[in-house]
Amino acid sequence: MRDSLRVWLACFVPTALAIVVVAWPTNATAVDADVLKAENERIAVVNKVKPAVVAVCSYGGQAVGSGVVIDPEGYALTNYHVTESISPVMQAGLADGILYDAVLVGQDKVGDVALIKLLPKKAGTPFPFVPLGDSDKVRVSDWSLAMGNPFGLANDFNPTVTYGLISGVNRYQPPEGGGMLEYTDCIQIETSINPGNSGGPLFNMKAELIGINGRGSFDKRGRVNSGVGYAISINQIKNFLGHFYSGIDTDHATLGATIETENEDGALNQMKFGTILDEADVFRRGIKPGDKIISFAGRPLTSTNQYKNILGIFPSEWRMPLSYRRDNTRKNVLVRLMGLKDAPVDASAQPKPPPPERPDPAKERAKKSPAVKLFKEKKGFANYYFNDLRQKQLWDGFTKHGDFTGFPGNWAISGSFDANERRGPLTLIVGEAADGTPEAKLTMNVEFVYHPLDGANGPAQLQVPDNSGGLLAALYQYRRLLAMGPTQKAFELGVSHGGTEPIYPPHLDGRPVEDWSKQRVDCEVLRTKHASIECKWFFSQTDRKLLACEAYVLREEDPCELFFSDYKTVEGRQLPHRVDVRFGDKNYGRLNFASFNMKK
Amino acid sequence: MRMLMATILAMAVTTASMAADPFYAVSEKVNQKLVKLFGAGGFRGVSNYGTGIVISPDGHILTSASQMLDSAEIVVHLSDGRKLKATVLVTEPELDAAILKLRVEGKKIDEPTGLELEHFSFADELKRPRAQPGDWVLGFSNSFEIAMRDEAMTVQRGVVAAYTKMHGRRGIFDFPYTGDVYIVDAITNNPGAGGGALTDRKGNLLGVIGKEIRNTQSETWMNYAIPIGAEVDVKDGDKTVKIGLAKFVELGILGKYKPVKRPDIVIGIGGYHGIVFVPNVLDRTPPYVDDVFPNSPAAKAGLKVDDLVSFIDGEPIYSINGFRDFMKRTKSGSKIRLEVRRGDNLQSIDIELGEYPAKPMAPKKP
Repeated sequence: MRDSLRVWLACFVPTALAIVVVAWPTNATAVDADVLKAENERIAVVNKVKPAVVAVCSYGGQAVGSGVVIDPEGYALTNYHVTESISPVMQAGLADGILYDAVLVGQDKVGDVALIKLLPKKAGTPFPFVPLGDSDKVRVSDWSLAMGNPFGLANDFNPTVTYGLISGVNRYQPPEGGGMLEYTDCIQIETSINPGNSGGPLFNMKAELIGINGRGSFDKRGRVNSGVGYAISINQIKNFLGHFYSGIDTDHATLGATIETENEDGALNQMKFGTILDEADVFRRGIKPGDKIISFAGRPLTSTNQYKNILGIFPSEWRMPLSYRRDNTRKNVLVRLMGLKDAPVDASAQPKPPPPERPDPAKERAKKSPAVKLFKEKKGFANYYFNDLRQKQLWDGFTKHGDFTGFPGNWAISGSFDANERRGPLTLIVGEAADGTPEAKLTMNVEFVYHPLDGANGPAQLQVPDNSGGLLAALYQYRRLLAMGPTQKAFELGVSHGGTEPIYPPHLDGRPVEDWSKQRVDCEVLRTKHASIECKWFFSQTDRKLLACEAYVLREEDPCELFFSDYKTVEGRQLPHRVDVRFGDKNYGRLNFASFNMKK
Repeated sequence: MRMLMATILAMAVTTASMAADPFYAVSEKVNQKLVKLFGAGGFRGVSNYGTGIVISPDGHILTSASQMLDSAEIVVHLSDGRKLKATVLVTEPELDAAILKLRVEGKKIDEPTGLELEHFSFADELKRPRAQPGDWVLGFSNSFEIAMRDEAMTVQRGVVAAYTKMHGRRGIFDFPYTGDVYIVDAITNNPGAGGGALTDRKGNLLGVIGKEIRNTQSETWMNYAIPIGAEVDVKDGDKTVKIGLAKFVELGILGKYKPVKRPDIVIGIGGYHGIVFVPNVLDRTPPYVDDVFPNSPAAKAGLKVDDLVSFIDGEPIYSINGFRDFMKRTKSGSKIRLEVRRGDNLQSIDIELGEYPAKPMAPKKP
């Protein structure tokens, strides 16, 4: 029936237009051609996106919300407040009337987003999905379509469609309940959304996903559409998406400083820094109370709402460019965002005991679902199964460029260096000393030695050479990762996939960076921890080549940053022949590797 | 099949580009002519924010006559983010309208501000015919205080559902406007939307979005705007005069508008009637007469125990609370007509309210 209607529509459009054009002068009641075109456009868009709209249900139970499939493997976006009570195993109905088993993948409690995965009825069958749009291009007064399952109306999961204007963009709506469900930089719509629409898609008229509907302003009108609804912008979700795919229970961020309005009563707003925490990155960057903020993450800052908007769309630990002014001098720095979960909490506050478990028939039923196999519980993760999966995929991609696990012996590298006006030949030996203890030795005119197990000589010993932030420690970890792989044996304190994070490689010719946003490269991240040193490894999203490393040698201090480039093949394996080293706001120097000798 | 769909889409997209965003430029233009207002309130469901329409380059602002204006100083955020203060020049409750003027430092209130703001020229807007039911409209306001400083107003769209009279029911908050309104099908009248602009789809001003009014019979909220051409007949002393929004704006800007003298309605203890109702245990306990003080105005008029008060002066009364609200607006000497249900009949009873006795007399024991 549906198919025949489509065919009929397809035939109807051209002929109808022709008739209208001809009939126009004689028949005053004929419908304007533009109106028909607009109508057909709407119908076409709705039909195009409809198959990907999800009705999220508890397992074998009630419809609780909506969602939308965003890739052929069946990954779908919804709200955290939809999955919260039914996770981890649930069901999801599509417009084809079929109810699929689904499992929680990743979540963002503060931003109210969750990623779930639908399981195909037959392995490998692709799901219908919708492309992600660019919500920064959404304009006030653009048309939009909201789809979903309000009031749990659709027993056959055929979504309800509502149509309306974008009422506002870059809106800020404060958290609801315990710091969660904060809608930052969100899209305000008059397009009707009601209970059950939560988690459902907001589309532009190009059939692209521009947001996830989740909240409204209700006041005294009851919890039904009041003409003021909010959707989480898809661009915010894109920032977190890599984390979601990796099964992470993501965290939002703070600058670790208060932002004040300099002249609350003045005609125009000027934002400035107030108190700054000692452990905050802005403190390490030398920012002081009273410094005026010009822009943050490339956007001008004119109000507290805008500040919260910008801050709210990034995961913790991401670095963002910040421009500030002190005494008429403008400075551009990169600032690493602090996590909210790590923020100092009142130690006396005891964690609340979990509420007593009540038997939930839906959760009992869910135990029989095949989706149970796709769930693994772990602290800090929404679902560690997917983290595991992504680690394997990442490492498989990386080792295509070269597998070094056959070289667990000492690595000797020679070449040259160029650091702080000093130049010369370089030799590096990483592995074990004659007595069998781990050791890294670097000779650049003078000899630097690093013993990973030797913490007794104090922090300075760990950060050799001076002002590098721990170059030898980082190189030691580098060889360990390559030679042993991201295994529990090599990194006894933990290995995980860190989702997506941007890096900002410095200019290769050493000139200072004016605009950090132009340096940004988004990477896939692997996190490792060995001998109390945490490392983040940044891989290219396109070919999974290793591009950079951050080694956190001392907590509360800047990491030593390595940027790998000039990859060449050595014995059939790709190895970087250039490493740029950065620490804090300075380039430490550059290492050129000419020859490698890796022992088996 | 998919190919066919793609063809339709491609066709639709190319032709729809002009139809797809007809409002973007309009809303940007209108937004420049609107301001966010912040004043008194912020408690018990009374919002302390609202919306205003700039009606002169010099910074005159038209808005609703709401409680929000009962403040020594109104703070105004212009569309470009500037924050200024404003003074209420004149209020006309019969039109539910007020005119404010922006203040610029170093300038007296009657001096030109030199602001040169984008504005709606009321005289020009009035030359257009009014919108008809079925016409498209756009609503612009700072409902729910979503926008601050340079953030843009909320935009909504709908059609004119009706052009009709609306009588705001008398309640705790007075709504004296009795003229025509545009009723719209969009939910335009949210908290803070009062004073916003209702425009046609080209951004021409049609009306001023009204403050929140709830229909107590259907428990629904009205979505309406007062048309720019609104006119009402009002009693000014003994004679009936016609006043209108156009004249209000024209004279108000010049500082020459004289508001209609309204009989002072003082909310106080009201006049003395002498009725004792049944215990008021619910929000909507019906006003059954439990007792009547001897020799009180109610007793003299013949009110009896077990009478159910149903109307006062033709207005339905559902509860003891409703009765008391009404009585707050009366005073000694006021005449009221009650319709009471006695047995199966409705009886009219005229009561002339008196002064409260110095010491209330104890009701007689049955």
